[in-house]
Amino acid sequence: MAFKKVDLIKNPKERKGDQELGIFYTGKGKVMKRREWRGVKDTLYDYTRWLYIMSVLARFIVKPRNIKGMFRYRWMANYLAVPHMMDKFTQGLRDEPLRITHTAMNFVIYDVAQTIENIFRGDRRTGNDEEFSKRCVLTDENAMTAFMMGFKNSKAILREVPTMFVANLLTQYSTTHYIDVAQEFGIPGDVCPMPEAEAGISIDDDFAVLGCCAVQVNTTCDGSLMGNGLIAKRLEEEYGIPTFQLSAPMRHREADVQDYAAEDIKMAIKFVEEHTGEKWDWDTYFAAAKRVNDATRHRQEWLDVNSTYYPQFVGSVFSLYNDTNYMGNCGRSPLFPPVDAKITKLVRRGYERKTMMAKEYRHRCIVWGVQPQYNIHMLYWMINCWGVLPLTDMLSMVNTKMIAEEDTPENREQAYYDMAWLNENMIMRNRTHGGYKVLVDELWEFCEKMNADMVMMWEHMSCKALDGLHGQFEEQGRERGIHIVWVCHDLCDPRVYTRQAIRDEFSQYMRTVLREEPLDPSLEFINDENAW
Amino acid sequence: MKDLKHLIYFERLLEEAHNPLISQAQEEGKKCVAFVCENTPEPLMNLDNTFGVRLTAPNTGSMDIATYYMTSFLCEFSRALLERAIEGGYNFADCLIAPDGCTMMNRAAENIELLQAMGPGKDTFFYQNMEIPLKADDNGVNLMILQCKNHILKPLHETFGTDISDAAIRKAVAEHNRVCELIQAIGEYRKEEYPRITGYEFHVLTLATYVAPKYLLIDKLEETLEELKTREPDTKKYRARVMVVGSEVDDSAYIKLIEECGAYVCCDRFCFGSFPGRVPIEMNDDEDALTQVCRHYVYNTHCPRQMNMQKVYGRKAYVNELACEYKADGIIYEQVKFCDPWAYERLMGTTMLRENYGFPVLSVDRPYNISSSVGQMRTRVQAFVESIEIKKLQGGVK
Amino acid sequence: MKKAVKIPLTVLGIGAAAFAVTFTVYFFNLDMKLTSMIEPILLNHYDKIPRNQRI
Repeated sequence: MAFKKVDLIKNPKERKGDQELGIFYTGKGKVMKRREWRGVKDTLYDYTRWLYIMSVLARFIVKPRNIKGMFRYRWMANYLAVPHMMDKFTQGLRDEPLRITHTAMNFVIYDVAQTIENIFRGDRRTGNDEEFSKRCVLTDENAMTAFMMGFKNSKAILREVPTMFVANLLTQYSTTHYIDVAQEFGIPGDVCPMPEAEAGISIDDDFAVLGCCAVQVNTTCDGSLMGNGLIAKRLEEEYGIPTFQLSAPMRHREADVQDYAAEDIKMAIKFVEEHTGEKWDWDTYFAAAKRVNDATRHRQEWLDVNSTYYPQFVGSVFSLYNDTNYMGNCGRSPLFPPVDAKITKLVRRGYERKTMMAKEYRHRCIVWGVQPQYNIHMLYWMINCWGVLPLTDMLSMVNTKMIAEEDTPENREQAYYDMAWLNENMIMRNRTHGGYKVLVDELWEFCEKMNADMVMMWEHMSCKALDGLHGQFEEQGRERGIHIVWVCHDLCDPRVYTRQAIRDEFSQYMRTVLREEPLDPSLEFINDENAW
Repeated sequence: MKDLKHLIYFERLLEEAHNPLISQAQEEGKKCVAFVCENTPEPLMNLDNTFGVRLTAPNTGSMDIATYYMTSFLCEFSRALLERAIEGGYNFADCLIAPDGCTMMNRAAENIELLQAMGPGKDTFFYQNMEIPLKADDNGVNLMILQCKNHILKPLHETFGTDISDAAIRKAVAEHNRVCELIQAIGEYRKEEYPRITGYEFHVLTLATYVAPKYLLIDKLEETLEELKTREPDTKKYRARVMVVGSEVDDSAYIKLIEECGAYVCCDRFCFGSFPGRVPIEMNDDEDALTQVCRHYVYNTHCPRQMNMQKVYGRKAYVNELACEYKADGIIYEQVKFCDPWAYERLMGTTMLRENYGFPVLSVDRPYNISSSVGQMRTRVQAFVESIEIKKLQGGVK
Repeated sequence: MKKAVKIPLTVLGIGAAAFAVTFTVYFFNLDMKLTSMIEPILLNHYDKIPRNQRI
């Protein structure tokens, strides 16, 4: 079958400021030699956002317990690189996409700073606020916090998010120490390095210790499920923090697993009630449910715009913001809806003005598979270097169903099913579990709907759920005339697959199969192996 | 020791996935229900006109095609099954029931389904994927009941007209329990100081009960048990008694290799082993049979994917109990390469059995077919046996 | 100079100077260059903290 073709879209406007984006790394230091010149207006905008980030960091570090935490926990060193992360995420962006990216990611930075503050406040080694700690419930990095939607005062602390997940966005070598610790203890090198690193953090005693209890979920994979047992053992035996294992069914689209899932949510809520002493509050729950639906509507609108010729909110920040809002927040915070609304306003404006992010858009691409944390910003590189537009990614294709948001007796029962549904459809696991239909078949549906001619397939080499259908992707993509660009990586261990090796795989496809030349040749080889 | 009368017979059953007893049962008009995971309640596949066969891929060599479909990072067992299915090695089966247990086995089954690699020419062939609870609790039992109804009983009844009544299930459990009792009785001889059955022989017998129709094995197992009652054991003591714990072992050559190093495999706790897979199902007359079967499988599984902490701790306590009961000097924790659940469980088990229970533990990963890595494994086992001997010489109890 | 003129000029001058300094730091990435020098010191410090490494 012939390959599908999409229209070439040329940008009538010339990009202001720096044209060559591959010149910022010298290969010597960890950071760029200077920041990007984006024209006067956008540079000044970026500068004000930099000031804002600096103010968030300054407000964080002036607190003594946070300084104490900085000197106790190895992962905290990565937070020296927060502004650097923003520079990676805004590479080449101007106008609305620049503002959307900052609006979304600056809020994520604020949210993570709050999470770390809360962690250190309750942490027995730093803040040791016992009263506060008694209100904290630890949850996993990849956990949907739906079961906390009806608790007004208790706090869900996603302890692994700042410790492992975000740290690896900041600096590429953030997890290697912990992976080594885990492997020294005997976990093989072929498992997913993310739960392995989390296990390593636990073994290395580098997690903050707080909370009255912990709720763990079988999240994305067998490795993640199994790593939880190891972490729970230390929590329970050494720190006396009881744990509850919340089970989300694997075949989550099947009707005959929903009762089970809802029942387990009830048990999780009961467990939290018992340990926090707080009763579930339906008003709080339904207010959160409204916000969940609100976030779903906004996300759908952004995706609708991304289905047109002029997408606005794309790239890793699209994914990371959705991660934070959909999963970590799950309607609990009233601070997210105004941010969503502001992004939507910018998305609409950008669409109306036909704002583009590169000289031309050659390919419309769906990014599938599990993204490498240490090279997640590569999506902007694809736009700038090759004119390949990442329309959406697997992790952002989550729940689209509206959940019950009015407080009625029927809806109170329905609510358990809704929470279970959200829990089952947490990011990544809603695709990696549930059979080939959700992972393979629906990918082709998204390609059709978003008019994509290309799938950039992140092949996370130790993600068994993805690897297990490698051949099916190959064959079915070929049958449908979709370009499947395989890009291998090892999630959060850049020693196995460097950033340049990842880019090379993409570039090779562009040159050898598509016979194209880069839009910005300076980006083809970037000397960032030692960079943060 | 004198050879067991039926050992070669049992060994031959393991040489091919499509063994002669499968053909015999099908000639008798029974349908073959293929399955791929220990968490699938076996008696429900041995009803009336059906018999269950757990798939294996004996003597696996190249897995090139499966590696193309699933990459080299998936566990070799799952790849071996897919490879064998593509080769047509499971064409004898009349349906495939695959629980969504571990991800890799699930993907193997899904690839088999997508490639239609099983059931050519069989109009009634069907694939079923079922959910298996991740925790041992009553909620899990309810899920298991529903799943068994929807994905085993209903399809069997609708497709093959199978009797799925309570009486039929009870009959199947009785047959299942008879096999379990025989295996347990045979296994009891492993407790002796001079055991009258080797670990290898025992594994061959046990394994056969997974891959062949049970009702056709009972007489041979009964004869073997009788034979063992008077069998003269070797008078030479083994250098060390070891228990093998870990992921699935359907390659008896692995047990043989361990015993060739001077160890005696006195107890097993792995899929395709006697614990917990051949522990009889306790039944009463007050409750329906299906519920009782499901409860047994939910509460008695020791699969590492069971995630509640009672199970996480309980698995190690169970190994300790068995090791004590069967007088093991040491424990071998093994894992098929690239198996995620056992990668973590092996670490936890190794550490806890050493630190909490005081056993010497050898922690190894291994290929699916041990013949591809004999030398390496032998060296490790030999060193382990020697270390146990040294400990004994130095007066250590465990 | 009159006070009414002097104060705004001073404020403006301070503001301009602050802008000049911070913009220079921003544009030449001096903040990150500094923190990248701090990181190895911190990592050395973490290596020295006694750890209770266990499962």
